[in-house]
Amino acid sequence: MGPGSIIVRNLNVRFGEAHVLKDVSFMVGSGESFGLVGESGSGKSTVLRVLSGLNRNWDGVVEIDGNPLPQRPDKAFFRSVQMVFQDPFASLHPRMTIDAILAEPLAIHGLDQPDRRIERALAEVGLDGGFRFRFPHQLSGGQRQRVAIARALILEPRILLLDEPTSALDVSIQAEVLNLLQDLKLRLGLTMLLVSHNLAVVGHMCSRVAVMKLGRIVEEADIESLRKQGGQDAYTQELIAASRRVALASA
Amino acid sequence: MTEEPPLVEVSNLRVRFHTPTRIVEAVRGLSFSLGREKLAIVGESGSGKSMTGRALLDLVPWPGEVQADAMRFKGQDLIGMSGEARRRLRGRHLSMVMQDPKFSLNPVMSVGRQIAEAYQLHRRAGKSEARDRALAMLEDVLIREPARVFDLYPHEVSGGMGQRVMIAMMLIGEPDVLIADEPTSALDVTVQAQILDILEKLVTDRGMGLIFISHDLPLVSAFCDRVIVMYGGRVMESLPARELAKGQHAYTRGLLGCLPDLDRPVRRLATLQRDESWLRGG
Repeated sequence: MGPGSIIVRNLNVRFGEAHVLKDVSFMVGSGESFGLVGESGSGKSTVLRVLSGLNRNWDGVVEIDGNPLPQRPDKAFFRSVQMVFQDPFASLHPRMTIDAILAEPLAIHGLDQPDRRIERALAEVGLDGGFRFRFPHQLSGGQRQRVAIARALILEPRILLLDEPTSALDVSIQAEVLNLLQDLKLRLGLTMLLVSHNLAVVGHMCSRVAVMKLGRIVEEADIESLRKQGGQDAYTQELIAASRRVALASA
Repeated sequence: MTEEPPLVEVSNLRVRFHTPTRIVEAVRGLSFSLGREKLAIVGESGSGKSMTGRALLDLVPWPGEVQADAMRFKGQDLIGMSGEARRRLRGRHLSMVMQDPKFSLNPVMSVGRQIAEAYQLHRRAGKSEARDRALAMLEDVLIREPARVFDLYPHEVSGGMGQRVMIAMMLIGEPDVLIADEPTSALDVTVQAQILDILEKLVTDRGMGLIFISHDLPLVSAFCDRVIVMYGGRVMESLPARELAKGQHAYTRGLLGCLPDLDRPVRRLATLQRDESWLRGG
């Protein structure tokens, strides 16, 4: 498979006694957007942590760009896979300026022309240069999440892992951030793996989705077929019903 | 019933923050009354909805200043009341579930002990009775192993569980009015529905008044009786919850328009166009 593809086969993760991922398998094609939905504790975030190299204790086969992911990936790997976290209030260092936050990954990876790259990254997420020397507390939630996206993109990754990127944001800001992610994906040809508990958000962003429950994938489907036929699994049906109930109220 | 004053009456509430450079007006002239019903206050962050709840409880942080033509709880004047009397109302009669369990729970005390403490304080109960009530309360908010969770510290519980712990703590005093600030935003859909059922029961069975602060319009439309839509500290619109979708104000329409919908896929989501004139007049 091409650059930016992800293959996961029989992924198992245990934390002591707890078996948190049980034979998880799925594939994401190059440039595809794939969604993972499920309750908290179902293992969605753990999948992302394995793929991003943050969790080094796993069994199974994971291939990124067609190459097997080692238990201890090298620096080049971290450059190609970047993650955006849920809470923009917690994921940015409170005592570093936006400039320092964006310069750090560049310094770690020894990239040239940090000045130009920082300027470009901010422009890409729709923030003007005036934000560059501010601190995170001087920014709104939506602006902070844009900075977090800029920090991920500044290394020019092929794969973007998104862990509930908009659930801490207002719906109006959510719409702006989702539009931004769509634009970036098209422009940069990114592969995206989006974790969310909101099926409507996943439906808007992704073409395929896997539903997780208690560490297993209970169903994998096209959004289109979920929309038309509903899910096979009872839990999927419940999620669809919940998002319809919510949608009906505003119809 | 007709003789009874409303649970809460607020007229022309203003909350201001005096900063060295300017005066920030968080709430600008809000009026409403609450009966034994579910009233929603919706709006984006910064619209003043949380400050409204805090003003009712006398919990507006320094240097905030609260003014109102009238603010009454069951006919008692809250503005002229002493801090001591306000404190006695708080938790026992008027209670608020804060938005973020991570910042609102005591990090060095087990969650169960915090709930029991609330009960002991309001009910003058003994330790073991308080512990039993706290365990029962944890069960009521659908925590599966109350005895195990009782001894956990806030950093050991998930966001959703922390939110349920907060709800348990606020309900254990059996308040007449509960102000819930985004009580279900960190919860999964299934648990969310169950928590809403609990709140619903308290309103219908016990006659509690509920002020439900949220930015989730579809949710409040389905769950609440009335909705106040706020923007920039002002009321944009006030209408029955069922008719929220038919809201006329451009702000209400804008908020509804930017929600993704599983059944109506669009290439790009609409974004909200804000209008300066919303903050003038009215």
